[in-house]
Amino acid sequence: MNFILRRFRPEQIRELVLILLILLVIFFFGFQIPNYLSARMFNRISASAAIIAVLAMAQTLVVLTRNIDLSVGSIVGCTAYFVGKQLADNNEMDPFIALLMSIGLGAILGGFNGFFVAFGRVPAIIVTLGTLALYRTILVEYSDAQTITTMMLPQWLLDLPRTNIVSYGKMHLRLMVGGMLVVLVIFQLILKYLPYGRRLYAIGSNPEAARIAGIPSQRIVFLAFVLCGALAGLAGFMYLARFGNITVVAGLGFELKSVAAVMVGGINIFGGSGTVFGALLGAILIDLLDNSLIRWVAISEFWRDAMLGMLILLAVAADALVMNRLRNLWTRSDPQMKSKEEKSHVG
Amino acid sequence: MKETVLEVQNVSKRFDMTQALDDVSLKMVPGEIHALVGENGAGKSTLIKILTGIQQADQGELWLFGNPVKINNSQEAQAYGIAAIYQEPMVFPDLDVAENIFISHQDQGFLVRWNKMYTEAEKILNDLGVRIDVRAPASGLTLAAQQAVEIAKAISLNVRVLIMDEPTASLSNHEVNQLFRVARQLKQDNVALLFISHRLDEVFEIADRITVLRDGRHISTNAVSAVTKDSLVREMVGREINEFFDKKTRHELGDLLMSVRGLTKENVFSDINFDVHHGEVLGFAGLVGSRRTDVGLALFGIEPAESGSITFEGERYEIDSPEKALTIGIAYMPEDRRQFGLTMPMSIASNISLPMLKKYLSWLGLVNLSKETDIAEEFRQKLSIRTPSVDHEINKLSGGNQQKVMVSKWLNTEPKLFVLDEPTRGIDVGAKAEVHHIVNELAAQGMAVIFISSDLPEVLAMSDRILVMREGKQMGIFEQGETTQENIMTAAMGENQSVQEFSS
Repeated sequence: MNFILRRFRPEQIRELVLILLILLVIFFFGFQIPNYLSARMFNRISASAAIIAVLAMAQTLVVLTRNIDLSVGSIVGCTAYFVGKQLADNNEMDPFIALLMSIGLGAILGGFNGFFVAFGRVPAIIVTLGTLALYRTILVEYSDAQTITTMMLPQWLLDLPRTNIVSYGKMHLRLMVGGMLVVLVIFQLILKYLPYGRRLYAIGSNPEAARIAGIPSQRIVFLAFVLCGALAGLAGFMYLARFGNITVVAGLGFELKSVAAVMVGGINIFGGSGTVFGALLGAILIDLLDNSLIRWVAISEFWRDAMLGMLILLAVAADALVMNRLRNLWTRSDPQMKSKEEKSHVG
Repeated sequence: MKETVLEVQNVSKRFDMTQALDDVSLKMVPGEIHALVGENGAGKSTLIKILTGIQQADQGELWLFGNPVKINNSQEAQAYGIAAIYQEPMVFPDLDVAENIFISHQDQGFLVRWNKMYTEAEKILNDLGVRIDVRAPASGLTLAAQQAVEIAKAISLNVRVLIMDEPTASLSNHEVNQLFRVARQLKQDNVALLFISHRLDEVFEIADRITVLRDGRHISTNAVSAVTKDSLVREMVGREINEFFDKKTRHELGDLLMSVRGLTKENVFSDINFDVHHGEVLGFAGLVGSRRTDVGLALFGIEPAESGSITFEGERYEIDSPEKALTIGIAYMPEDRRQFGLTMPMSIASNISLPMLKKYLSWLGLVNLSKETDIAEEFRQKLSIRTPSVDHEINKLSGGNQQKVMVSKWLNTEPKLFVLDEPTRGIDVGAKAEVHHIVNELAAQGMAVIFISSDLPEVLAMSDRILVMREGKQMGIFEQGETTQENIMTAAMGENQSVQEFSS
């Protein structure tokens, strides 16, 4: 027991439990659904989870600062449609320009959120609830209810979701999944090793102390929203590549998925703790259940939203019950302040 | 004489109604521990906020090493080497100890070098003579350890002036000693320390010079050898009793209403004993952190006590909820109007009827609005609440009138015992006098009143007897005739007889 206490922090235990849970779910559906444990399922679910994972990482950045971004689904829709439209109009456009355009448009939309939250001091839930509707309406107006179809898009984009980095038999690591993993590594490093990343945690952990410590909270929160928007823009690009047919409802409901992934992944909704790796695990679990349940005859498609809701509630309840106990266990075993003279008989 | 690090020159600061600081000057010298003492509201906190850049002075100047400086925010204060630690440490609970120490460093470089940070944090803590695991999250640390982390943070920022705002208020004796050892270490390293405490013993133990503030004014600055506890207490309270207070009409106390024996709530207050009679105003005095409010909350069942007995009209009760308290006839008017007292956007009438809504139900189970209005109207006249009508929204009223609505709301429950917690805080002098008048009236009609107030002259003027608390302990009950400012203040400071019983 003492070994475990010294080796791991409660948060790491939580991530281990999540991995176990994911394996358990795979095991369960492996029995329930024929041909479930196949290369095809892996390819399909990894590609679909990649988009949700990028969104969950985006959401993590703002949730860490004790904020929330409900507009990510609309940002995905806007970027997917806008960039798709540009590509349809100009098939010769360079792939990198298209990618940068997605990220840039996402960053601008995120910056709009961040401006009102950080400098206007409007609660994030209100600002982003507003832009959730606003961005969607702009999309509807801009698109004139037209659909972008695969026929209009350049061939390289349609090939992108089937491009592999490595293959093992029929199992493929898709380029988009690889891209998601690169984003994961980058943001894991930013959050751990850049002063900016540490300040995200500080602000969410104790905003008042952050103010007194002279941390420029407004700029940092603003930038968190910009980055969140940029990642949502990237997710929009991935969405465009994966589905090709883009209507005005693209990305609808993704905000619920991203928030659910973040909470299941152990990011504290009140800020200050959690990792993008946790968000990835949360996204995988949610998307796994999502993709498996529709193949499982016993459950109707309409239950999938209910399942997301239940998962959120479950994650919060587990956090309140289990994590507090775990943390207490750690606190008790942690050495407290001792002065030099008395270290021999305390603790 | 050493060079002055920080000099406060003729600083004044005003908040709406109150002059928080009035022409205060102060000098701080390296390697000296300078204590700042004064009653609640003497202006200590405001002075700290100005020094740390959280607030700016209206008038006056700050001089640092002989140059005038303007401190506009806490970043600038940090850059000048001014840091503060507070009673409740300002740590980041989710970050580990080393990060807490280095979080404000602007020059960390491009990357956070964790190993370097851990070694440096360990070194700073070692020099301070404390051992804390630098990799542990700050949330698990004791208050004393968190304060040590804050001091380490200040040191890492090259602190020249360290302000300690009641750092000992929530520490145990043992932890206080640890903190003092750290403070003396800093003193040797030529840091100038400003130490604020309500515990005179500690002030005499650690300080070199003592400055007394009273009502925002500088009263005196002396070497610690030149003053005594008595002289300090006299300087802290020495003022005329305000003319505005109604002279209390002394009368015989009525029958016994409630006896409280051995009321205890672990780590909050312990062994509270008192009787209160019909028609009596029992004052509760004490400094910040004396836990008077917690006793009030226990009597009203919001935060029930854990042991001890409450006998009300001869019967014993366990008061475990406000509903219970209201049924036996106890009402409690909380300190914070906005947070706990009034439901803000609602009308005056609906605020008054709220605790007793059942009284207004018609046979259909609906609220009888005209009856509600009638009752509110009655109180409006009785307490002269100045409003166009009782349907007016409550947030449009002045603080004093809001307070009268609060009083009405609780009077409407027809209590036999009325606990008023800081009923005159933040309202102007005229409204204060009216609230005092109301309380006197109520007592004259036979209601028992417990009057909790930080304003010493007010408690003195209003109360028949005064119970003095200090850090959750009852320091004594002063009968009529014994209630002088000096007596009460001495007890509140823990310098009267009974303190010996506790500390031995």
